[in-house]
Amino acid sequence: MTWDFLMGQFAAQFALWWVIWLGILLGIVVGILPGFSPQNTLIMLLPLTLAVPVEQALAFMVALYCANHLAGGVPAILMRIPGSGGAAATTLDGYPMARKGQAQQAIVLSFTASVFGGLITTLATIALLPWLSQLGLYLRSVEMVIIMLFGLTLIAVIAAKDTLKGLISGFFGLLIGVVGTDHVYSEPRATMGFLELYDGVPLVAALIGLFAVSEALVMIEEKMIVDDDARERAMQASWADTIEGLRITVQKWWHIVWTAFIGLFIGIVPGAGASIAAFVAYQQSRMWSKHPELYGTGIPEGVIAPESANNGVTSGTLVPMMALGVPGGSTAAVMMIVLQYHGMVMGPRLFSTNPELAYGVFVSMAVAYIFMIITILPLARYMARIVLIETKYLVPIIILVTVVAAFSERQYAFDMGLALVFGVIGYIAHKTNYHVTAMLVGVILGPLFEQYLVRALRISEGDLTVLFTSPVGNALWALLAFSLLVPLGRSWWQGRASRSSPPQP
Amino acid sequence: MTRNSQALGADLVIPALALAFASYFFFSTADLVWEAKANGVIIGTALVILIALLVGRVALRVMRGEGGLGLDPLWQPREMAWKRVGLVAVTALFIGLLPWLGLTLALWLGLLAQLWIIGVRRRAILFWLPTWTAAAVYALFIAVLDSGFPHGPIENLLAPLLALAGR
Repeated sequence: MTWDFLMGQFAAQFALWWVIWLGILLGIVVGILPGFSPQNTLIMLLPLTLAVPVEQALAFMVALYCANHLAGGVPAILMRIPGSGGAAATTLDGYPMARKGQAQQAIVLSFTASVFGGLITTLATIALLPWLSQLGLYLRSVEMVIIMLFGLTLIAVIAAKDTLKGLISGFFGLLIGVVGTDHVYSEPRATMGFLELYDGVPLVAALIGLFAVSEALVMIEEKMIVDDDARERAMQASWADTIEGLRITVQKWWHIVWTAFIGLFIGIVPGAGASIAAFVAYQQSRMWSKHPELYGTGIPEGVIAPESANNGVTSGTLVPMMALGVPGGSTAAVMMIVLQYHGMVMGPRLFSTNPELAYGVFVSMAVAYIFMIITILPLARYMARIVLIETKYLVPIIILVTVVAAFSERQYAFDMGLALVFGVIGYIAHKTNYHVTAMLVGVILGPLFEQYLVRALRISEGDLTVLFTSPVGNALWALLAFSLLVPLGRSWWQGRASRSSPPQP
Repeated sequence: MTRNSQALGADLVIPALALAFASYFFFSTADLVWEAKANGVIIGTALVILIALLVGRVALRVMRGEGGLGLDPLWQPREMAWKRVGLVAVTALFIGLLPWLGLTLALWLGLLAQLWIIGVRRRAILFWLPTWTAAAVYALFIAVLDSGFPHGPIENLLAPLLALAGR
């Protein structure tokens, strides 16, 4: 890959600006709507992407995919309703920022962290693609089990206010994630006789119920999402708040960089995805922070970490698809189908037989991110105004429109009912301080955890010690223990320090 | 101590649901081979242990007189409880009637009913908010994306127009 080749690629992608804009606009719309995943949208638009030349189809799909990841944070910040699983972690600090009257700053931070996080990792991927593609080869089922467990430890750490309740929520979610047929014998488990549950619990229904419906049922207690002071501040919001968001972005540039790389590396692992990346980045951000106790109260780092990471995932997910022919996620799988339809064969030979396409995907992604910042940043001021709408008008729209969106994943009316059931469970969890986020992490991780655990046990003929036999796996175990022990040690140390300090007069 | 933390019975609702589900899982998978239920049994066992710890903690607090077994946090504030029940009931009705009324009409009626339940009385809002929302949902899901939502009188009425636009 030469400099001239790369510049030529950038010029070719900039020439497709109209396709990229179209992808961005559609991606933003479907990203804001909970339940609308990029893969479903791409599937619906297959007749279009199959009909146009492959370069245009690719630029459109990549732009839609990246914009979708970016926009999922908007409803997460404004209404604590993540547009996608990857934005669930954004609710933890984004929504408290909105309630403090800083919705505009939070949205700007979410946009800039997403764009710069995505852009940095995309450029890094272009430079390091041949080496990054090897990373997936070192991760087998044993290592994946430990990575999943790493995700599970986040449940306890995120729900630190009451770890026991957090763990119950998380394990309840994990058990719900086991529902459906098993991976080896296809035996249905805990499906209550519903055929619709044979494929497992649909994640979109769980997401909509636990976040959107339950939040709406709690929201009716307030006249507005924000209190009176915050409303005054939100009403006086101006372009200065957008600039304030940009200033914080510049101030926290290093935070964006390292959390984006967490997303990139997790994105390369097939199946891990944006949800896990965002939670890992949030947890790591809190673990290394000088003020971890402020996380969850509405601080910029709590928005930057998950948003930067879930956009770092976008380029990571495409690495195994391009380099190994193994799609890193469901959206990558749809893209692969379109590319194969156009006669492209994914895998290591792609870089020698069709370098324009192999690198073009990532160049297209970089160009999409550049266009995105111009498109979306001015909208932050107007989007933030949604917190000024009275809840009596918002609640019915949130409940019914999101329940309708639950239908869109699999087109089963059953999923709408399931979203309502999850909504009631989520409401009870909200009211009794159980962590709905922990429950959702459990539902997401449940099927993946089982898949890799059963595979590892099959290979070892049922011997559980196989989980401690791999050098990479053992390093991951050490990292997992470290992640658990550091917060515990820190709280013990702080407790000891406060006990030993003399009382204030 | 807050009023909510005194009603410790509410803290046991999620564990009770989780325990019921875990019991159902154990019971319904009893006859399956080990590999098919291993993951669920491991997770379910851990869940039961965690629930036992929580029940022990609640029992200890009740014995110390720090709270009772009331469920107050779930109903409070009282004046909102019936509105919540109404919203859930209308949503269930909306899902149930969807196959007959179609997406657009069911959504319009559902929004109207929910707005009324929540206390909106201005006629203009009661008419226009459901109308614009239902129109937007129709445009996105039926006209543009042609997703598989049930069609009712509105969709059937507008079908010739869509066909004309398609031509």
